Amino acid sequence: MHYFSQVFSYDHPWSKVVIGMWHKYPNPHCAHVVTVDVVDRSVDPNTGIIRTERILGCKQKAPVWVVKLFGGSEDAFVREVSFVDPATQTATMTSVNLSLSQFATCYEHVLYSPASNSRTTFTQTAEIQARMTLWRSVSDKLENWLVQRFEQNAQLGKLAFTDVLRSLSGSQDKQSASP
Amino acid sequence: MAHSLSPECTPLKHEYDSCFNAWFEGYLEPALSASAASEERRAYSKRKAEEYENTCGKIWVKYRDCVQKAVKDRGLDDLLNQARQENPLKEPPPPPMKEATS
Repeated sequence: MHYFSQVFSYDHPWSKVVIGMWHKYPNPHCAHVVTVDVVDRSVDPNTGIIRTERILGCKQKAPVWVVKLFGGSEDAFVREVSFVDPATQTATMTSVNLSLSQFATCYEHVLYSPASNSRTTFTQTAEIQARMTLWRSVSDKLENWLVQRFEQNAQLGKLAFTDVLRSLSGSQDKQSASP
Repeated sequence: MAHSLSPECTPLKHEYDSCFNAWFEGYLEPALSASAASEERRAYSKRKAEEYENTCGKIWVKYRDCVQKAVKDRGLDDLLNQARQENPLKEPPPPPMKEATS
């Protein structure tokens, strides 16, 4: 089992970050995310919480040994469930891989919460674990590769979202500045 | 806007995403300031949930039907159902435990 976590903040208010969540892709920093689909969504009429279930399609080259051992292709799919709760100003995203899930799981949790009126804290954790049915050496190798890939993508995701938030706030500034 | 899994669903997806985003942006700011009285919040949530259904409900059903078929055609429905069984995520996850930060 590998564990990953990072915390930082975006220089944008919580509401703008949460609006930005739906505009993150496509993104030149995350060219590996090629499709995004909403497969389920509900707006709770009592609590106002919005639950969204999406499938993200990714294209990223896997090392030859992964393809040989586990089959599969460049296409990988992820299930992501998010909750946006305006009452508590909390947004969470939980993701898990659908592809290769019989061999390994990568659970990711993201939390967006206000750090102040103009800043938003981003908390990300991930657990990466190969299933026990694999030989130890193979499962270690698979875990290490997944961790490496996750860490690379996490850094790219930060760059990607920073750009999106900047351009969203830029276009809003322009709109509000125009007469 | 990102593409759909299936090219034939992409136009429906874009129409739906635009509808949702417009609704969401109008929903969010007042929802934040309504946080005081719970009755007020409930009334607002109820009204907005209905508004979402009325404005985006039709295009959502079209897009959902299209994407459900695409998910099935690609054999992702079994994987999705398995993930849903393992972790339904019907409720927001509990706040993360505060860890001792080094």
